[in-house]
Amino acid sequence: MTFTNALRFARRELRGGVRGFRILLICLTLSVAAITVVGTVRDSIESGLSREGAALLGGDAEITLTYRFASAVERAWMGETALQVSEIVDFRSMAVVNRDGTSERGLTQVKGVDNAYPIYGDVQLSPPMGLDQALAGDGGLPGAVMDGVLIDRLGLTLGDRFSLGSQNFVLTATLEREPDNAGGGFGLGPRTLVRTEDLSASGLLAPGTLFESAYRLELRQDAELDALEASAQQSMEGAGLRWRDSRNGAPGIAEFVDRLSAFLVLVGLAGLAVGGVGVYAAVRGYLDEKTNTIATLKTLGASSGTIFATYAFQIGAVAALGIGLGLLFGSLIPLALSPIIEARLPVPAVFGIYPAVLVEAAIYGALAAAIFTIWPLARTETVRGSALYRQGTDSTLPRPQLRFVLLICALTAVLVVVAAWFSGLLRLTLWSAGGLAVAFVALWLIALATRRVANLLSQNRRMRGRTALRMALGSVAGPRSEAAPVILSLGLGLTVLSAIGQIDTNFRTAIATNLPERAPSYFVVDIQTHQLEDFLTSVRADDGVTNVETAPMLRGVITRINGRSASDVAGDHWVLQGDRGITYSAAPPEGAEITYGQWWPAGYAGPPQISFAAEEAAEMGLSLGDDLTVNILGRDIEATITSFREVDFSTAGIGFILSMNPAALVGAPHSHIATIYSDADAEARLLRDVGNTWPNMTMIRVRDAIDRVAGVLAGIASAATYGAAATLLTGLIVLIGAAAAGERARTYEAAVLKTLGASRRTILLSFALRSAIFGLSAGLVAVLAGGAASWAIMTFVMDTDFAFEPYSAMAIILGGIFATTAAGLAFAWGPLAARPARVLRTSE
Amino acid sequence: MAVITLENAQLALDGNVGRVEILRGIDLSIDKQETVGLIGPSGSGKSSLLMLVAGLELATGGRVDVLGNDMTAMGEDALARFRRDHMGIVFQSFHLIPTMTALENVATPLELAGKSDAFERATSELEAVGLADRLHHYPAQLSGGEQQRVALARAAAPRPDILLADEPTGNLDASNGEVIMDALFALRDRHASTLVLVTHAPELAARCDRTIRLADGRIAA
Repeated sequence: MTFTNALRFARRELRGGVRGFRILLICLTLSVAAITVVGTVRDSIESGLSREGAALLGGDAEITLTYRFASAVERAWMGETALQVSEIVDFRSMAVVNRDGTSERGLTQVKGVDNAYPIYGDVQLSPPMGLDQALAGDGGLPGAVMDGVLIDRLGLTLGDRFSLGSQNFVLTATLEREPDNAGGGFGLGPRTLVRTEDLSASGLLAPGTLFESAYRLELRQDAELDALEASAQQSMEGAGLRWRDSRNGAPGIAEFVDRLSAFLVLVGLAGLAVGGVGVYAAVRGYLDEKTNTIATLKTLGASSGTIFATYAFQIGAVAALGIGLGLLFGSLIPLALSPIIEARLPVPAVFGIYPAVLVEAAIYGALAAAIFTIWPLARTETVRGSALYRQGTDSTLPRPQLRFVLLICALTAVLVVVAAWFSGLLRLTLWSAGGLAVAFVALWLIALATRRVANLLSQNRRMRGRTALRMALGSVAGPRSEAAPVILSLGLGLTVLSAIGQIDTNFRTAIATNLPERAPSYFVVDIQTHQLEDFLTSVRADDGVTNVETAPMLRGVITRINGRSASDVAGDHWVLQGDRGITYSAAPPEGAEITYGQWWPAGYAGPPQISFAAEEAAEMGLSLGDDLTVNILGRDIEATITSFREVDFSTAGIGFILSMNPAALVGAPHSHIATIYSDADAEARLLRDVGNTWPNMTMIRVRDAIDRVAGVLAGIASAATYGAAATLLTGLIVLIGAAAAGERARTYEAAVLKTLGASRRTILLSFALRSAIFGLSAGLVAVLAGGAASWAIMTFVMDTDFAFEPYSAMAIILGGIFATTAAGLAFAWGPLAARPARVLRTSE
Repeated sequence: MAVITLENAQLALDGNVGRVEILRGIDLSIDKQETVGLIGPSGSGKSSLLMLVAGLELATGGRVDVLGNDMTAMGEDALARFRRDHMGIVFQSFHLIPTMTALENVATPLELAGKSDAFERATSELEAVGLADRLHHYPAQLSGGEQQRVALARAAAPRPDILLADEPTGNLDASNGEVIMDALFALRDRHASTLVLVTHAPELAARCDRTIRLADGRIAA
């Protein structure tokens, strides 16, 4: 009976439309749509990566080697296993253009290919032509194709000549698209593509130079990839090979997309939480307006259960509509924008409607709607029939019964578990949920504090006579204050924005002012041992050079720790991701601090020993005496850790995680790297002199590299800003909702004030002031919380100095004041224009 | 000497069913310190007449003159200032500002008038109506009778020339109603104000110097 009656009452009340639920509808629609958009784009990319895995990889499987080409035995295994093998070589170098007696240089990522390249997909060139034709060359010189960015940088036109090392090439086309570039990762220079055989005379692939070779295999359709991988690892054990196959053609990209979308979904959940505040405020406002109806129903004999169910049905129906609309918009927006998104993505994507995404977003929406509506709904039980005879609603109604509080806690726990399960990032989800909870409690406390302070100020004698201000403070402090929803909804978005502003500025300061004071001008790589002495003599002779440091440089992979697989011991620590630079040295580097253990004695020639970076060793759980197996050039070297030392990477100088005693490595083919510290006006001269004398050496301008890294960081910052903006947008909707919900109260207040003799100016000033107080409060909280968060990130994560940046903080506070005042004033004109007699008569 | 004069005052409002004639030509004159009771059935135009005098509604025809000012010729802010300086109004539904305490509600018109002793005077007005222990209570924390006493104190605090009361006991029980009427007349006597009282109760109207009956938007007797 309760159920049927409730359903009937709910249907009758909804006959008037969902006008009273507009904010609830918008908040849920927006939040669910945001989560659906992120999920749809993620699944579209994953679908595209999966469909074109082989083309992205450049083959059905790929074997990568560092510093060397495959041996005859390895080639034989590949020849037997694959239908076709394509060999790729990849390294950094300088493209040099000689023009009118001067030379122009540009850092480039060179890719050498064979005739089988590409096994899958097509290379797109401009003007359109086949790769064979482009690389065949012209006028007796081999051909090369180049990224348009580098062509512009070097001022080249098609048909011009340039050199890589000591080999000349002719530029035949612009490289528009490499089918296998998505997995290529972060490169410091734009691409130049040539035939590997044409590099033989360049001097760039000499033993010891830094290059990577990759062998792409075309396999039979029925090939068992797991078995082949196991066979490759077994046949080439100790060769330091890395295996990838088409099941995950671009693992870096896939992982990145997965992580980023999981992060964005968590940002979406923050938006959902802010939207939840709007849902809460909307439901509370709606039920406040229904107090008389509820009281009347109670006097007519309706039970608390019937009334709860009546309004739960209404809110449930509107929430379902909001979630449905969110799913609809969230699915359609990526589909509608798919041509634009695809054009901007470096990876393929298959846009469509993904049911799993819709289910995920709907679950989030439904749980959030339930969590934020139960509290105000439960208060319907506390409304008594006597409310009919009281003016206004007392905002200090008793708390809902314990069972409702427990239900809210249980649903929140379910939401966190569901989010962790969907995102696959348990720790990040728990941290985010914890952070959100702390932020919510902090903002709620601030809202309470704001009311308290406003109350004290409004009763202060100094406020007497300042009518508009005292009225504003009284409204902030008084019953039915909008402080909590406004400060909660706006504060969260502004806090994230404030943190981003502080971090971004601190980063830029670190890059623009701190780093160049200590950083070298150039990194020089691929210095052959026989060139080292001449190189040092020449560079030191330059007046502009203040210091030159060099170190031997090899690359190797840590494969085992104390005989166990390294990843089993240290997980996925970054030191174990791919190969690392390794050096050797008879004495500790100048200024190095040995934190534990002892450096090997001079002339030591016993079993290999290692000095490891202290911080990274602690993270990996390494101790003195641990044995590491390091694969260098296909050969396993067993060495024991005998010391730990501090390595400072922040100066951009030479810093190696792993250093060994000279006898362990000196026999291996290797090159040297150098850092040159010079005056700014010596940089161009150094580039020209070193480049002309030793064309095989690659000079990386540190400022360019830092700019590139800064560019990547700026991209991440803008992605985070978009996330914060989404949260802020939801916050603004909640703000507008709160302002709209308060319109009736303000209309009434304005009418009474007019009867008491207040001018419209005084009333408007009072309305503006109360809005500004909310904005000021939310802005101040955001600056404090954002500042604290960014201090923690800069100090503990980035390991650099933090300086509070006042301008963005001021902008946040002013932005908060502006947003609340604008929203408040937008809903002030109606109350100001209303005729007092009609307003007062209506409320009789 | 007349402080309130209405000449052929008319009020028509646009409603959902078209234009409704509320007042159909009222001629009325009320002298200084006179107490006048307006009575009549519901919908006869009593409250609307009071609103015209207060300047809360603007006459759509005729003339409304209060203390020598043509109320139909004044702008909204000028009317607000006029009320601030010369009028106190009491409503049936009290119309206290829910976000303000009793003291703040009473002090507000004094503050608006720029009185430096607004809170002291508000306190003494609340003491005068027996609410010395309710100064810092919000309206929702007061009973109906207490809320109406706050409204009375608020209306009387600026020592107005004219007190307007629109069924001040309509929402109260008999005993509370009597207390309020006593308080209203006491305040009127204290400030020597002109009082216009709208009421359904003939016995309350009988306490006034003169009773005017309205019916169908006109003065019936």
